[in-house]
Amino acid sequence: MKKFSNLAIPYIAWAAMMLIFPMLLIAMYSFTEQGNSIVSFSFTLDHYKKFFTDPDFLIVLWRSLWIALKTTLICLLLGYPLAYFIAKSEEKVQNTLVLMVTIPMWINMLVRTYAWIGLLSPDGLFSMILGFWGLGEVDILYTEASVLIGMIYNFLPFMILQINTSLCKMDNSLLEASADLGGNQVQTFVRVILPLSVPGIINGITLVFLPAVSSFFIPKLLGGGQYFLIGNLIENQFITVGEWNFGSAISMIMAIIMMLLMMAVRNVELKNEGGKGKKVTNEEG
Amino acid sequence: MKKDKRIFGKILMTLLIIFFYLPIVYMIVFSFNEGKSLTSFTGFSLRWYEHMLKSRDMMSALYTTFSVALLATLISTVAGTIAAIGLSKSKKIVRDIMEQVDNLPIMNPEIVTAIGFMLLFITFKVEKGYVTMLLAHIAFCIPYVILSVMPKVRSLDPNLADAALDLGATPLQALTKVIVPQIAPGILSGALIAFTMSVDDFIISYFVTGGGVKNLSIMVYTMSKRVNPSINAVSTLVVVIITIALLVINIIPSVLAKRQQSEKKRRPLWVPALCTACVLSGVIAFVILGTNKDSQQYPFYGQELYLYLPGEYINEEVVESFEEVTGATVIMENFDSNEQMYIKVANGESFDILIPSDYMIERLISEGYLQELDHSQLTCMDVLDPAVLHQGYDYDNTYSVPYFWGTVGIVYDKTKVSVEDLETQGYAVFLNQKYKGDIYLYDSERDAFMMALKNLGYSMNTESEEELKAAYEWLVTCVQTMEPEIVTDEIIDNMAQARKALGLVYSGDATYIVSENENVGFYLPEEGTNRWYDSMVIPQNAENVPLAYAFMNYISTYQHAYDNSAYVGYTSPNLQAKEDMYASGGDYEGIEAYIPRMGNSNDEIFHFNLDTKKIIGNLWSKVKIAASNAE
Repeated sequence: MKKFSNLAIPYIAWAAMMLIFPMLLIAMYSFTEQGNSIVSFSFTLDHYKKFFTDPDFLIVLWRSLWIALKTTLICLLLGYPLAYFIAKSEEKVQNTLVLMVTIPMWINMLVRTYAWIGLLSPDGLFSMILGFWGLGEVDILYTEASVLIGMIYNFLPFMILQINTSLCKMDNSLLEASADLGGNQVQTFVRVILPLSVPGIINGITLVFLPAVSSFFIPKLLGGGQYFLIGNLIENQFITVGEWNFGSAISMIMAIIMMLLMMAVRNVELKNEGGKGKKVTNEEG
Repeated sequence: MKKDKRIFGKILMTLLIIFFYLPIVYMIVFSFNEGKSLTSFTGFSLRWYEHMLKSRDMMSALYTTFSVALLATLISTVAGTIAAIGLSKSKKIVRDIMEQVDNLPIMNPEIVTAIGFMLLFITFKVEKGYVTMLLAHIAFCIPYVILSVMPKVRSLDPNLADAALDLGATPLQALTKVIVPQIAPGILSGALIAFTMSVDDFIISYFVTGGGVKNLSIMVYTMSKRVNPSINAVSTLVVVIITIALLVINIIPSVLAKRQQSEKKRRPLWVPALCTACVLSGVIAFVILGTNKDSQQYPFYGQELYLYLPGEYINEEVVESFEEVTGATVIMENFDSNEQMYIKVANGESFDILIPSDYMIERLISEGYLQELDHSQLTCMDVLDPAVLHQGYDYDNTYSVPYFWGTVGIVYDKTKVSVEDLETQGYAVFLNQKYKGDIYLYDSERDAFMMALKNLGYSMNTESEEELKAAYEWLVTCVQTMEPEIVTDEIIDNMAQARKALGLVYSGDATYIVSENENVGFYLPEEGTNRWYDSMVIPQNAENVPLAYAFMNYISTYQHAYDNSAYVGYTSPNLQAKEDMYASGGDYEGIEAYIPRMGNSNDEIFHFNLDTKKIIGNLWSKVKIAASNAE
């Protein structure tokens, strides 16, 4: 039996090489003065200083977090009722709907985003429909609105599927118990369904917020060159400017911010789980 | 009340389905469009599919995407399953640490993971290409497989394996006959996730690829700037492939399950194995068909030419005819900017020919990256325009053979912009409030600063920090008060439709724009402009120098130079080709943008200066951030 644990050894070696070592490399570059070599290591904090003392960079960081937050909120507000609707459908319908939500995710993200360029351009379908309703021609492409649409389009399925999974796992007898105990629909929803679906919500938020913050092709394709997010800043440092050390520093900053945010979210989940247990026993008692 | 809710839900659901599928349907519809437009449907045609099938770039991108996905799925599923079984039997501390490690690629922003891989491959000097892409895909897929296999393994009765061993099974038998069948659903869903992640991946592939290897995402990213309905055709093909695959996955198991009930003992695991085998054999057939070339009498049969050049900068038909004549294969990789090219070359990636601009050639020469050309092997120098020879960046053409040349100027919508404004204001027309929200800037630090410096009356090669600062402020004023759109090649198709009043473009793009739309004009301010030369050079680490010479000679001869220039729109260095193009009957008859301006003493060629370049590079990033923050 113990023999099987040896099976993990090759993977541990591989993970050290392919997962841990690259992170160390980024950290090393971010603390190295200049040049793209780790051989000539000379410690400096300049790259971090450069980032934090320049308001322009901070605004970019702030805007990236802000648009990711907006995307996440809209996805949650749209995704929850939809996931709820799917979860409450008959099983056959439910499977079909889940498949309908999944299929777009199978089609390449770049391809799907590219499709929006034609839809959103000034003489495209979108502006035609708005014009038809008398809202006039709107030039929405290459604005923040088009970036937001692109993000919601790409990430909404994650939210729906996560919440749907947690709603489907829910024990129906809990809902019956709530009704038996005189809870009306609103009470049942607020006090039973919502708390029980928190894990799904949190997974959904993670899966939407994380890629939304760091995405750089959605802003580039739909936002144009004058729309700059933190992902674009990093790409720019590595691909065109060639300042890898500064780029690595920004990557580190972003990774750390995300790590802290995720830890905070996980804390909420843990706390909620503590509370949830009580609530459930309350309802049952 | 309940009914009302369902109706609300149904409406929302319908809207959602429309939202999800409208872009996909739109894309499919426009892949059959006869015209080039992405917004008006002019008639049914299959020309974009024809174009797609002919484009080696697109077909190889498709092949790369699916072959990498299949291999990565296969390898990461096997490796991930083994690792999960092993870890489940390891000590708790090992398991906990590994769980955190596995979380790295899942919880890190993807771009950070991507940069990590890139630095790793560069540190160990692994040549970037197909193998690095595959390795990276395997690396980020395994954690997802472990994540979905692990719960199944842990819910397994630990006595099962022991029982098998006690009953005389070897550990391998216990593994394959007892454990694996029990956790099959977890393995299958892990494989599915791995496949989806791999097919969908862009960011990681983008940073770890090289040597012209592109997957679908990278192809769309690099081609998306120009209107190119073939992208829709490829996308439609992908939609069809994925739909069929999904149908197969969803239907075949249920059909087989029915059959299974009669012949019980079969395990469902061979179903996905069968599907994989089908797809794999398809891919193999595809490869064999793709590389089917006969006869050995070509001078460069079976050899490869690595060409690194800007996007949309060559007529693929000329490349194909070169391949037919020589028997060689040309592998092309594109860059967005000279700077991007420089980084790759400086990192030791090998190419046979590069096509950078003048100032970058100066830099490459001074840093020793280029080979001196053997002029006895060049048959093309005599047919070149005297105007492109003996330029400062490489006076005796010791290192370079001109490829295209031109200037930078203003394209304008004649119906909106008066020539008088242009003549009196020059580049300052980009600060004229009359055109607020109606201008394009070109996303190139050199050209943006050229415009500002020229308008301020300075040399565009200035080294004075004060003058650069003034130009920076000029540009910041422009982006803060004029609401410009900062674009790259998107400007070409947009100005051809006169979507905005003014834009700064290269003369070659202006040639195409003006030839498409007679209401658009091209103006070169008297204040001066950047006259530039893009030339072919052979780097030191080129692997096939004779083939590089053959290509340089081939592309410079009259007919090929003419076809290439007519297709791209940029000015040919071949004198005869240039003159015939402009003369009556030529492709760009009478279009002035095609003939670069000579003789204005304000016109300059860029020179390379590392310090200035860094300053301009940083300032331009800040201009763009200012533009972004101004919204």
